[in-house]
Amino acid sequence: MSENKQEMPGGVPDRDTIISVRGVVVRFGETTILSGVDLDIRRGETMVIMGGSGSGKSTLLRRIMGLEKPTSGRIFIKGVDITSCTEKQLNDIRRIMGVAFQSAALFNSMTLADNVALPLREHTKLAESTIRLMTRMKLEQVGLGDAEKLYPAQLSGGMRKRASVARAVAMDPEILLFDEPSAGLDPIIAAEIDSLILDLKRAFKMTIVVVTHELASAFLIADRMCMLRHGKILAVGTTDEIRNNDNPRIRQFLDRIPDKVAGDQEAYLKRLTGR
Amino acid sequence: MSIFAAVGRDTIERIEYVGGLTVQFYRGVASAWRANPITGSKPRWQTSIRQMAVVGVHALPVVCLIAACTGLTMALQGGAEMRRLGALQLVINLVAVSMTRELGPLITAIVVVGRSGSSFSAEIGTMVVTEEVDALRSMALDPVEFLVVPKYVAMMVMLPCLTIAANTAGILAGGIFVNFTLDMGLGLYVRRVLEVLVLRDIVSGLIKSIAFGTIIVHVGCFEGFNVSGGPVGVGRATTSAVVKSIFLVVLADLLFTAFFYFFWR
Repeated sequence: MSENKQEMPGGVPDRDTIISVRGVVVRFGETTILSGVDLDIRRGETMVIMGGSGSGKSTLLRRIMGLEKPTSGRIFIKGVDITSCTEKQLNDIRRIMGVAFQSAALFNSMTLADNVALPLREHTKLAESTIRLMTRMKLEQVGLGDAEKLYPAQLSGGMRKRASVARAVAMDPEILLFDEPSAGLDPIIAAEIDSLILDLKRAFKMTIVVVTHELASAFLIADRMCMLRHGKILAVGTTDEIRNNDNPRIRQFLDRIPDKVAGDQEAYLKRLTGR
Repeated sequence: MSIFAAVGRDTIERIEYVGGLTVQFYRGVASAWRANPITGSKPRWQTSIRQMAVVGVHALPVVCLIAACTGLTMALQGGAEMRRLGALQLVINLVAVSMTRELGPLITAIVVVGRSGSSFSAEIGTMVVTEEVDALRSMALDPVEFLVVPKYVAMMVMLPCLTIAANTAGILAGGIFVNFTLDMGLGLYVRRVLEVLVLRDIVSGLIKSIAFGTIIVHVGCFEGFNVSGGPVGVGRATTSAVVKSIFLVVLADLLFTAFFYFFWR
């Protein structure tokens, strides 16, 4: 946290900042998931939030999506505090955000085309023919032009992920959020998703926020990245800054060094027997 | 101390449950105008119509069958007693009144809990597990309006219809017994039934079925929304939806019956 404090004097986000997270704390009962996270995401950049399992990165993303409220702290998106605004304001913010969920989260009862068309049908008054054209365009963009009549259950994991990206960009959002885009995919398909993200970034100049623990993909797609550990941000910076950071915890993550398991035989036996 | 703590925690949990259910009910009613064919948006009322087929039309055979069995059983049981009193024709009153006031609505509701209440909670619970509900919210779509309201509208239309069908099936099945024991033709039987019944019998049953439908939809969906812990959680939610719905339906039945007994005779 100390590293990024000088980066944001005061509490007022500057004009380039589209998402700003201020002192966000999340607690479930006794356990603290996030303990005071500050983060600024600038318009048009790709920010990768990295961290190991249980570091709180998905929790942070869910707060940014406005799905749950933090225990304390504020999150501003385009200047609107989504932790205290009305449901209507939150829904207006949500319309400029597209989300690709970890499990794709396509609606299983609808075809791919209907999945992608859903936000357009619900939030716009476009004619059905226009919606169909846009849907086909979005699916074509992710390489699923010929799968629009299929149901999610008939697709492979990678195709489902790509379809969820198509749905996320259906409304041409300003902000695109990815939760673990390459989790559970083989390296080739994961690379496909990465290049898809890069394409979107180049083509639409969207602000993209990616939560991941895949190092290779993180360094490929990121403009800036931040490193979460135990609910705290260890560092924020460009890919090079992070790559050359000498914080031991960051080095451990980047160099893939396992946590030292207590080598003490006696303590180990004590733990096993519970005495 | 621990007893107080346990009782307190349980009480708070119950109050929270009822509170959550009430909020969902309120939001469901508040956005019901968006899911009916007259004032609603097209995709939403289309879902309502589809739900009506699933909830109502597909349930018709089983509801009628069970109601017919119950009606015949009532006639047989009643007949055995009435015969001893030498008033066998009172079986007609018994079957007609008990089916319309009580058994028709109740049996329909219990069948629908088993068919639809469980599937509501399983469907929504699975959507929670696969993040589909989160996806809806992230698209600025209200899950209550999107998932609950079409089911609610469908249930409000179909449960009274099913109840009427169950009443008819039960009464006609009672007619079979009467036909054999009293040697009374079906036409005469139906005429006697219509003489016995007053509008109050049927309307009070339909009022009950509206209440039952509300309970079935909202408890089923609420359990679904509260799923946590993956597929096991979905199973648990389904069980608890069925148990809680049946309990609440029976409780509501008692309350309505008591109300009608004292205030509407």
